[in-house]
Amino acid sequence: MSFKVECDKLCPEWPCEQPGEFRNVWVIVEAEDGRLSEPSLQMLTPGRRIADKLEEKLVGVLIGYNVSHLAEEVIKYGADEVIVVDSEALKTYHPRVYASAVVDLARRYKPSVIFIAGTKRGREFAPYIANTLKAGITADCTDFDVDPNSRDVLLIRPPFAAILLAFIKTPFRRPQIGTARPNVFPLPARDESRRGEVIFEKVNVTAETKMRLISRKQIARMEVDVEKAEVIVSGGKGIGGPEGFKLLEKLAELLKGTVGGSRKAVDAGWIREDRQVGQTGKSVKPVLYIAVGISGAAQHMIGVREAIRIIAINADPEAPIFNQADYSVIGDYREVIPALIEELEALKIKGPASIKEYIEWLSNLERGEERIKPGAQAI
Amino acid sequence: MRVVVGIKWVPNTQAVRFDPETGTLIRRGVPSIVNPHDLPAVELSLRLRDEVGGEVIAISMAPPPASKGLEFVLGMGVDRAILITDRVYAGADTLATSYVLARAIQKINAEIGDVDLVVFGQETIDSSTAHIPAQVASWLELPYVYYVKEATVTGNGRLRVVRELESYVEEYELELPAILGVAIRALKPRPVSLSTKLRAKLEKRIITWTNNDLKLDPRCTGLKGSPTIVAKTIDMPEVPRRKEVFKARDAREAAKWIIAKMLADEKLREPLYRSLWGGE
Repeated sequence: MSFKVECDKLCPEWPCEQPGEFRNVWVIVEAEDGRLSEPSLQMLTPGRRIADKLEEKLVGVLIGYNVSHLAEEVIKYGADEVIVVDSEALKTYHPRVYASAVVDLARRYKPSVIFIAGTKRGREFAPYIANTLKAGITADCTDFDVDPNSRDVLLIRPPFAAILLAFIKTPFRRPQIGTARPNVFPLPARDESRRGEVIFEKVNVTAETKMRLISRKQIARMEVDVEKAEVIVSGGKGIGGPEGFKLLEKLAELLKGTVGGSRKAVDAGWIREDRQVGQTGKSVKPVLYIAVGISGAAQHMIGVREAIRIIAINADPEAPIFNQADYSVIGDYREVIPALIEELEALKIKGPASIKEYIEWLSNLERGEERIKPGAQAI
Repeated sequence: MRVVVGIKWVPNTQAVRFDPETGTLIRRGVPSIVNPHDLPAVELSLRLRDEVGGEVIAISMAPPPASKGLEFVLGMGVDRAILITDRVYAGADTLATSYVLARAIQKINAEIGDVDLVVFGQETIDSSTAHIPAQVASWLELPYVYYVKEATVTGNGRLRVVRELESYVEEYELELPAILGVAIRALKPRPVSLSTKLRAKLEKRIITWTNNDLKLDPRCTGLKGSPTIVAKTIDMPEVPRRKEVFKARDAREAAKWIIAKMLADEKLREPLYRSLWGGE
């Protein structure tokens, strides 16, 4: 049973609507340069799960200009239905223009849930949508669920610098709006055989007369994005200067990975902002994350929760990172990283046959030594 | 040019300490500070004022101790400050907060003079939603841009801004009044001048507005005006990790141990193999 709203108790500036009038889970899908934006497709992953739990439809809302041909793709990634708004009015992105298109559709269709990718654009226009509808919005969700009793969607996010996890709901307002950072959810599997309805809609788009785009330049980048990298060698405050990052780059190159950095390293200007991992940077999901001179603050670690393994190198034996990594060594990176590079280069030359030598050495070490202990107790 | 800059008084999440005994984070007794991400917004506001004249007014909706934060930005050179405080504003989510801020901006418009620009930081360190600039823009129906790195007033009285997205740098021209969200590292904030701060205090440059002044319907503010409800909070669940720590004799041994661990680990063996020798 959904919540019954008493209109006289509501802020008179809000439209009085009953949650029971709203149905279906929407994912706003954006396209850029003729391709569907991957972060918005990723939102179909939690969208599918929540739609199934609510026993409602998952609807992709594709907005932009010259995007109609991409509608079937949204179905193949898991939507049951796609609403397409293909309009020249959406050719140039302005936050209020995009928001007004979604608001107009939402007023007509009354979805119960709207998920929006938390790209920089998404973070910009999503709160405008929510506020115009006088609906609740929850940013940077790391998970979603459905309250089994009330059927409200639980929007789960890490407030307070990622130390806490809050379960948020909006029992008396609909739609329930949530955003999630890119790469928090995986891209759904594409199913070529999947079919669904495509609805072409016209919307009342409010033209933006108060601002105009003067120029737009693509930022040239050569390296692999940190979000895509399988191996990331990341440096923090403990690196001490830009020259240290050269060492990390060398190691990253050897491991066919890329470099990243903590907020402090970016603040210090040792590494570019687009390489920043963590709450105000990016969420990453490498197989291996090597944290060098990174203390392990919660705001940083929230960005590497999806890393399969974490190796930490830190000179401070008290660093909290040791309690949050798989394999750690206490030591000065200026010595450990060059040694690691040399050892890897030697291994590369010796070839795969030498692997067993390392394994034997390790088992001898683990049999005879008391120096490897779990977590903080070793300190 | 009259610029209003929004300030949030937040717990200093950087001061939260890790308890190695229990493996948890200690949240109690954390001191409050001005949200560090608001400081580039203050700096941008001050630079615009210094360039074209006018005044910068800082506003903050918060309990009374937040006046310390307003004193801080007055010390940076903000001209005056308004603390918006009332029990009926407590427990507000971002929608209810933006409502009070928007109505306060309209009151500034009516009683102090036309507001040309409203500037906020990109997000806060305690909740980091980045909602407020867009939400205030929605209540006031004003154009807005996030992630602003530079802003200059043009000859025809408009604002040119440069902002950076993931893969693009964009330049916009906005008619005033408008709202900006300033990027975290846009500008280095100027330091607080103690004499400026003292003078501001003596001249009582902080005024307080309560709901007697704003006269807002209590159904639209605080907990009642907030669509979102925090159903519960838990400590961030720990990611299961192996937590093996090796105190090596020297760097060579440490390096060897790391490699051996990678080779012995079924998740890391294959990627290491591939990066060293290619193929499978």
